[in-house]
Amino acid sequence: MMDAGRHPRIELMTLSEVEEVNGYIGNFKVKVRKKARYVDEKECTACGDCADVCPVTYPDEYQVGLGTRKAVYIPFAQAVPSSYVINPENCLGSNPIACGKCAERCEKKCIDFDIQDEIVELEVGAIIVATGMDTYDPTEMDEYGYTRFQNVVTSLEFERLICAGGPTEGHFVRPGDMNRPKRIGFVQCVGSRMENRGNPYCSNICCMNTIKDSLLLKEHYPDTEIFVFYIDLRAFGKGFEDLLKRSREAGVNYIRGLPGSVMEDPETENLIVDVENTTAGRLEQYNLDMLVLSVGLEPRGDGDPLRQALNLSKTSDGFLLEAHPKLRPVDASTPGVFLAGCVESPKDVKDSVTQASAAVARASHILTSDKLTVEAITATIDKEKCTACGACAKVCPYGAIRWEKKTPAEVIEAMCAGCGTCAAECKFDAINIKHFSDEALMAQTESAVAENASERIVAFACNWCSYAGGDGAGTSRLQYPPNARIIRTMCSGRVDERFVLRAFELGAPIVLVSGCHFADCHYIDANRATQRRVDKLWDKLEKLGIRPERLQLEWISAAEGQKFATVMREIEKMRQRVTAEEIEHTIKVLKEDRGKQESKRKAKAKV
Amino acid sequence: MAEQDNFKCLRCGNEYSLPKPEKATMEERTCPKCRSNSVRKVG
Amino acid sequence: MSEDGLRIGVFVCDCGLNIANTVDTEAVRQYAEGLPDVVASVGNRYTCADPGQEEIKRYIRENDLNRVVVASCSPRLHEPTFRHCVEEAGLNKYLFEMANIREHCSWVHSEDHAGATQKAKDTVRMAVDRARHLKPQIEAEVPVTDAALVIGGGVAGIQAALDLADTGHHVYLVEKEPSIGGIMAQLDKTFPTMDCSI
Repeated sequence: MMDAGRHPRIELMTLSEVEEVNGYIGNFKVKVRKKARYVDEKECTACGDCADVCPVTYPDEYQVGLGTRKAVYIPFAQAVPSSYVINPENCLGSNPIACGKCAERCEKKCIDFDIQDEIVELEVGAIIVATGMDTYDPTEMDEYGYTRFQNVVTSLEFERLICAGGPTEGHFVRPGDMNRPKRIGFVQCVGSRMENRGNPYCSNICCMNTIKDSLLLKEHYPDTEIFVFYIDLRAFGKGFEDLLKRSREAGVNYIRGLPGSVMEDPETENLIVDVENTTAGRLEQYNLDMLVLSVGLEPRGDGDPLRQALNLSKTSDGFLLEAHPKLRPVDASTPGVFLAGCVESPKDVKDSVTQASAAVARASHILTSDKLTVEAITATIDKEKCTACGACAKVCPYGAIRWEKKTPAEVIEAMCAGCGTCAAECKFDAINIKHFSDEALMAQTESAVAENASERIVAFACNWCSYAGGDGAGTSRLQYPPNARIIRTMCSGRVDERFVLRAFELGAPIVLVSGCHFADCHYIDANRATQRRVDKLWDKLEKLGIRPERLQLEWISAAEGQKFATVMREIEKMRQRVTAEEIEHTIKVLKEDRGKQESKRKAKAKV
Repeated sequence: MAEQDNFKCLRCGNEYSLPKPEKATMEERTCPKCRSNSVRKVG
Repeated sequence: MSEDGLRIGVFVCDCGLNIANTVDTEAVRQYAEGLPDVVASVGNRYTCADPGQEEIKRYIRENDLNRVVVASCSPRLHEPTFRHCVEEAGLNKYLFEMANIREHCSWVHSEDHAGATQKAKDTVRMAVDRARHLKPQIEAEVPVTDAALVIGGGVAGIQAALDLADTGHHVYLVEKEPSIGGIMAQLDKTFPTMDCSI
C-alpha cells in the first residue's frame, strides 16, 4: 500500500470515480471526478488535532460500525494517502460560522471548505478494472438473528474485533457485554450456495477464512471452544488442507449441518443454536457466547454505471464477464480493458494478486507497442449514389459521419467503429462496410436458404453478444434443433431490411434478428436502430399479407447461452407451423414488391 | 388514467399495455409472459 | 460482384473428436470440394495446431489460394490465429473466413449426426459464398498512449498499479474511498500465510 502511494510513476487519485470513458484500445479518454477532500492531502501530517476538536461523532465505516469516528477523520491508521478527510454529509457546516473548529485548529492550515469537486481528463492506453466486491448482508436471513441479537456478527465484523487496529485494540470481546466470548460458533455459506436468498454460487473464500479465524482464536485464546457449522468444507488451494488439519488438531469442532434456528437467552445474551448434525444423524443444541456468520461475496451494488461506461458484460451471477473463460481469463469483452480481483469472481488475496499481475502482462503488451492496428471494419460512402439525405448521420452512434445539406456525407474513419448501422439505414445503397459488405452478407443470406429453404431458419447474430451467447450454448453443450443457419454481423444494426426480405423471398419460413441487450450494446445504442428497423419490417410484412410473427427479434447477452438455446428451440417450433402455401405466397408477393421497388428506383435514377 | 402503450408478443401472442414513458426514450421490450423480445407496439 | 480467378481453399477441422464425433467431417470436406471456385479441400485433425497451420500455408503457396475458409470453432476464438497464419503465407488477412462447426454445430447437436453434418455443410457453403466477396483491407495504425488507468485500489488494483509502474508505465490509480486498501485493509490476518494484510 505504502509503495503504491509513493511510487514515482503512480498517480494516486482517491475519493475519485470514473464518470465517462471514450475512445478505444490504446487511446482511451477518461473523465474522472475527484471529489473534494476539504483537506490538502499533501500538506496534512495526520496529526489528528482537527479530529480532537470536531464536535460530531459517526459510526466508523472501516470498523464496520463497531467504532466511531469524527466528521473529519483518517480512514485508518495506515491509510494511503496519510491524510485526514472531511465527510461533507457529516460535517456541521462548510460554513465556518456554523462550526469550522477544525480549520481553526489546524496549524498548517490544510483545511479548506472551498475546495470543489474537480473533473480530471486522463488519456490512457489500457484500463484495468479492479473494483472488487461487496460482502453479503445477512439481515434478510432472519433465522440467524443478525441485527436482532448483539452477539451475532459477520465475519468482517469479526476481523475488526480481533484486529489489533480494531475498535477494541485487539482485545477480543463480544459486542453485547464487552466480555471475551469463550464458546464461538461459525456458520458457513451465509449468502452463498442458496437458491432463494443470497447467491447460488460458492463464494470461494469463506471456508478458508473461517479456518484462519479459528486458528487465530486458538493461538491467542487456547481455551476458546469453537464450533464450525458447514455444508462442505472447501479447502482446495495450495497449503489449504494443512491449515484445515492444523485447525482440527487444535481442537476446533467441525459439524456438518447449518443451524435451523438461533435464539437468544435473554439473561446471558448467549445464543441457543439448533442444528441437525448430518454426520451423526441427530439434532443438537449449542449454547454459544458468540456466533459469526461467514458471509459470502457478491458483485458491487454500485458497479453498473462503470460497467456500462466501459461497455462490459456480466455473467448471470453479476460478476464481470471475461473474453474467454479459459484462454483469455483476464481480458474483458472490450479490447484494451482487463479484469483483476473480485470484480471478475470471488477470490482470495493470492488469486487477486495473481490475476492482477496477469492483467498487467496483458496491458503492458499494448502499452509497449508504438502503434496498434485497428480492424479495417469501417464504413465507406459512394458519393455518386449519396443523395445527401442525412439519414446515416442521424443513426451513427459515434457522430462519425459528416453531413451538410446538399453535400454527400463523409465518414470520419478514425471515429467509425464499424457497426454498420448507417449502411443498413441508407435507402440508396450508397454506404458499404469493409469486410461486412452488402454483397458478402447478401451472398451469405442467399446461401443459407440455397437448399431445403423450408426447413431453415435464417438467424442474424451480432458478434459481441448474441453470437457469443451461441458460443456459450456450445461450450455448455446445450442441445437445440439444427435448423438455424447463423450469419454473423458485428452489430445487429448492420442487418439491412433487404437481407431479411431476401431471405423470405427465397423461402425462409422464419428469420431471426438478434443482438445485445440495450444496456450492453457495443456500439453505444446502435441496436435501437435494429428495433426501429424490425418495427418497420413488421409493418411492411403485415401490409404485404405476411405474418409478422415470422420475423423474430431477440436480445441475447454473451452470458445467455441458455437463452440462445431456448430461442432456437422455440423458433424451430414456430418454423414447423409455417405452411408451404404461406411460403409460396410470401415468395410471390415479395418478388412483385421487389420488382416494383426496382422500377421505382430506376425511374428516380433517370430523374 | 395515464396514457397507455399497447404491445403484442409475436412469440406467444400475449397482448399487454404499459403506461407511456414520460420521455420518448426507447426501452427494451420483453413479453411479461414468455420473456421474448419479439414484442410489437400496436395500435 | 465477385472477382474472376477465385481460388478458394477449405480446411475442415476434426478438433480431435470435438467435431468429428458428431459431424461427418469427411463428408463435409468432400462436399466443399464440389463447390464452385474451391480448388482445395483438406481435412485436419487439429487445424489450429502447428501442422494444421503449416498445411494452410503450404496450400496457399502451392495452389495459389486467394481465399481461405477454415471450418472449425468459433471465429471469436481462433479467427485471429488463422488470420495471422494466412498473413504469414502472404495473403491479406481479410481474405480469410471461418465456418463455426463446433460451438454452433457439433457441440449443440450431438444427438443428431445427420442434422449436424447437414448444418456443417451449409455453414461451409455460406462461408465460401461469403469468401467470394471478401476484399483485401488495409488496417489503419493508431498511436498508443503509454499510460494505464487502474480502477479500484484494493489488493488487486494496488498490485496491478505497482506491476505496471515497475514495468515503466505511468499509472493512474483511481479509488472511490479516501484511502486505498479496499476490503483487504479491513482483514486482520490473511490465509494461507496467516500474516498481516496491510
